[in-house]
Formats: sequence, structure tokens, C-alpha cells
Amino acid sequence: MKKFSVAYTKDSGLMKTNFKEQILITLFFLIMLIIWSIPIYSLIKNSFKVNGILNYSYVLKNRINNVPFYRYFLNSGVNAIGSSLLVSTICVLAGFSFSKIIFKGKKIIYNTSIMCLAVSGPVLIVPFFFILKTMQLYNTPLAIILCEATITIPFGLLMMKNYFDSMPEELMESGSIDGASIYQSFFYLYLPLAKPALINLTVLQFMWSLQDFLFPLMFLTKDTLYTTTVAVNSFKGAYGMSPQNLGRYNASLVLIAIPSILIFVKAQKYIINGVVSGAVKG
Amino acid sequence: MGKLDGNLLSIQKKNNRAGYFFILPLLIIFSIFLGYSFYFLLKNSFNNVTISFKSPEFVGFKNYTNVLTDSLFYKSLFNTFLLSASNIFFGLTIGYLVAVFLKLKVIAKKFFHAIFFVPSMLPIAIMAAVFNSMFQYKDGIINQILRSMNLDFMAQRWIADPQYAILSVMSVSIFLIGIPIMYYTADLSTINSSLLEAATIDGAKLRHILTLILYPMLKNTHKTIVLSMLLGGFREMDRVFLMTGGGPGGATEIIGTYIYRATRAPGSNLGKVCATSVIILFISFSIGFIQMKLTSSNKKLKGGIL
Repeated sequence: MKKFSVAYTKDSGLMKTNFKEQILITLFFLIMLIIWSIPIYSLIKNSFKVNGILNYSYVLKNRINNVPFYRYFLNSGVNAIGSSLLVSTICVLAGFSFSKIIFKGKKIIYNTSIMCLAVSGPVLIVPFFFILKTMQLYNTPLAIILCEATITIPFGLLMMKNYFDSMPEELMESGSIDGASIYQSFFYLYLPLAKPALINLTVLQFMWSLQDFLFPLMFLTKDTLYTTTVAVNSFKGAYGMSPQNLGRYNASLVLIAIPSILIFVKAQKYIINGVVSGAVKG
Repeated sequence: MGKLDGNLLSIQKKNNRAGYFFILPLLIIFSIFLGYSFYFLLKNSFNNVTISFKSPEFVGFKNYTNVLTDSLFYKSLFNTFLLSASNIFFGLTIGYLVAVFLKLKVIAKKFFHAIFFVPSMLPIAIMAAVFNSMFQYKDGIINQILRSMNLDFMAQRWIADPQYAILSVMSVSIFLIGIPIMYYTADLSTINSSLLEAATIDGAKLRHILTLILYPMLKNTHKTIVLSMLLGGFREMDRVFLMTGGGPGGATEIIGTYIYRATRAPGSNLGKVCATSVIILFISFSIGFIQMKLTSSNKKLKGGIL
């Protein structure tokens, strides 16, 4: 059985290079490194403005509108966990169905769902606003979870169907010979095998949810529900423009960036495999 | 003909039931959040309606003509494509080079690998906030560097000057090459290295291999990146919103901020926003359709949306 990790685990050199070429490549990377260090340097330097390291402890202790700093992380975490679980559950079920079961209307439903890859967040904010108001979900974490999930489901579906497509048909047949129903085959045979793809999708959606800005900005108006990205926006007003406060503002940016960096470093493999497996058929 | 075995028929029935059972959650979410949304947009694009959604007034195609005669709409559309273009440009040049070089023997490979991906994984809100302070006139690092090199005349009001604001926003794209690198790396690993060995034996230099052999071979990846980044333009909002706020004077307005601003403006006609959304959806679906047509003819690449 093919696995999507294949694309990245193979790490043999593509070709041999001579000494001169190696120098050129190293030079290229050095120039890139210098360009890359400009924003990092700027951010770190600004975050130590006026009060140095005290900026960080101030941000961590300070409450804006009586909301402690860690609350934003908690909110982002809840949204990310909720939307990633929702996306992976829906997509693993539907992906299996589209890949392994023959049923009426399958092709048209699948194609329509995949076409929705083209749908972007901004065009949906007005109808989402109306739907969430009607369902009385406006200003709740569930609103963000549902909106974020809706946007990524087409991608997750594509990814999951590709993954199930790479599994042999015989598995289903052998299951049905042994008297297993479709449901049993799914839960006992296919679901355990789909674990790698499920992990990829969950991690990826977690990451995307942490990046999301538009939906929390649009559908959350209570400070206590703000996610880290929206907090960035509100800090700007709350901290003001004096050099001392700019230092604190930048310190908060550094702190907000840390979880994303840590997750990426820890789960790099899953994220890359996830992105690629949506695009490349294994 | 028509002589279907009763047993087969019951299996088919069972399959229908199971098939729909497994896609039920999908159907529920999609019919509420996408199906209804499309209906809502279409219906209200013909209405004059405020945020309370009470007493809509039918106005026919007036919202559409309003949008299509609004110069800011075209400006936003143009800027959206400019952002996509800069994403595509840096992805296809720097992204391509980085992906190939990371496949060769280089020092500190793992470190560089992570460094190039991290900006794409950070919330763009943070990137935008950092770039906003980098481009400040008085104490932004860009102008500080220029001044320290005695290039004072080049120090500009990068964010406040309409001429440069869009360039400043576009420059962030240099750092968003993580996704193209992932696509290229995946495609590169399917290339047989013996082919490149043969080329090297025939005297091909690295630059020949880069431009004449590998670049054409990765044609499908280029296509995927171009189309997905074109679509990605309509997803952008945070970058402009937090860097320039669409200003100065609408110089950096993109579709994302255009729609957001129109939605949030007090007492505004949301029918016009719906009409805008319908037009954008039409454009997006057209791009998506082209993408589907292109990728269905080649078996290896299947979409890609980031």
C-alpha cells in the first residue's frame, strides 16, 4: 500500500554538485538568511524597547478589559481543537463513503463538494453572520469552529478520499465475505488504517485554525472570547503608540507567535504530508 | 435488459443507505453553511437590506450595477490579483530554488528547511503587524537600514504613500513561500536522479539543470501553484487589514477588506455586499473549474488549494 509519507521520507541527494556550485548555493542561502533575519531582528528589538525583558512580564500579567493574557491562548486552543476534530470526523466518514461505497448520486455530490475548494472566507461572512445570529451562536466558540470547519472540509475530503483510494479494494471484499457489514469494515478495517491521514488532517486544521483572523474578528465581539490573532488587533488600540507601549505590543506579538512555531517544529512531518497529500495523488 | 437479480438489487439498496449514512454529517454542514449561504447571497443580492435583515426591499439588478460601476471594487480586484501575482512570482522563483537546493547537499539542511516554512505557518496577523512596524517612516528598520547606508533619498513613507503602500504589502510574499516549497519538494522526489546524473556526465552545469531540465519537468507543479495562489488571493484579508487597513485612500484595498469594510459600515446596504460576493464566487468557481479541467487530465496532481 502506498503511503503519503513516501514523498518526504526519501532524502537522497537529487544530484551531485561541484565545489563552485556548492559555494553559490551556500551564498544563496546566506542571502536568504539575511533577508529572513530583518523582520525577526525588528520584532525582537522592538519587543525590548524602553523596559527590556520587563515588557514580557508586563504583557503576561497585564489584563486588558479584565481579560488575562493566557485567556486568548485558551480560546484559540478550544477553537483549534474543536474545528480539527469536526473536520477530521466529517472527512474520514465522507472520504470513505466516496471512495469505497457505490451509491446513487455519489459522483455529483462529490464533485460539488470538491468545487467548493474555490469558496473563500470573505464572501461568506454576510450569510454566516445571518445563520449564526439565527442559530443564536453568534459570540460563541462554536460559531468559529463551524465556520472554520466549513471552509476546510472540501480540502479534507479530497485528502481523505485520495487516501482511501490508495487502499486495496480487496479489503472490503474480504470483509464482506467474512460477513462484516459496511459499517464493521469501516470501523475495524479501514479506520485503523486511515490513522496517518487522520493525524495529518487534524494537525493541519489545528494550525490553520490558529492562523485564522477573519472569522473571529467578525463573529466574536466579547473580549473574553478573543483568539490570539484578534487580540493582536485589539492590542494595537489598547496599548497605544508611546514607545513604551510599542515595546509591550511587540512583546505580545512574540509571545503569540511562540505556540505556532513550537507546533510546527514538533509536527512538521504531519503538516507537510498533509498539505502535499491534498495535492499529490499517492 | 432489466433483468436485475433481486439479490444484487438489495445489495445496491444497502449500499445506498450506507453511502448516505457516512456522508450525512457532511451533507448537514454543507447544506446549512454552504447551500443556504449561496441561496442567501443570491436572494439578497437583489434586495436592499440592512444588518437587521428586516423588511428587505427588492431592487432588481441595482446592487450589481452599483458594484460593477464602483471604481473601488475594480481597484480591490486588481490589488487582489497583484497580491496573488507576487505570491506566484516569489513561489515560482525563490520557492523553486529553495526546494531544489534543499534536495542537494547543503550545510544545516534541517535548519534551513524549518526557517523557510515557519513564516507560512505563523498567523499572517503577526506577520502583518511586524511588517507594519518595519515599514514605519521614522523608526522602521527598512528606513534605518537605508539611512545607515547613506541612501536617505530612498527612505520612503512606505505605508502612508499610496504609491508604495501596495508594494510594501506585496513584499510580505517573499516570506510566504512555504507552500510552494512543499509542492515542489513532493514533485522533485518523483524525479529519477539518474536522469540528472546523465545530464551532468554530458556536461550540464547546475544552472542548465535548473533552467533547462528541472523547470520544464515541474510544469504541473507550476500550474498547481499558479491556480491555487490565484484562488488564495480571495482568501487574503488579514495581511492588508493589519498592515495598511486598506489605505491610504483605498490604495491597498483588496476584495477581503472591501467586503469586510462594507459589511461593518453602519447602515450600509448588505445587498450590495451580497452582490459583490456573488460576483467573486463566480470568478472563483471559474478559476476552480479551470483547475479541475487541467488537473483531471494529469493523474499525478489533484488540485491543491492553499
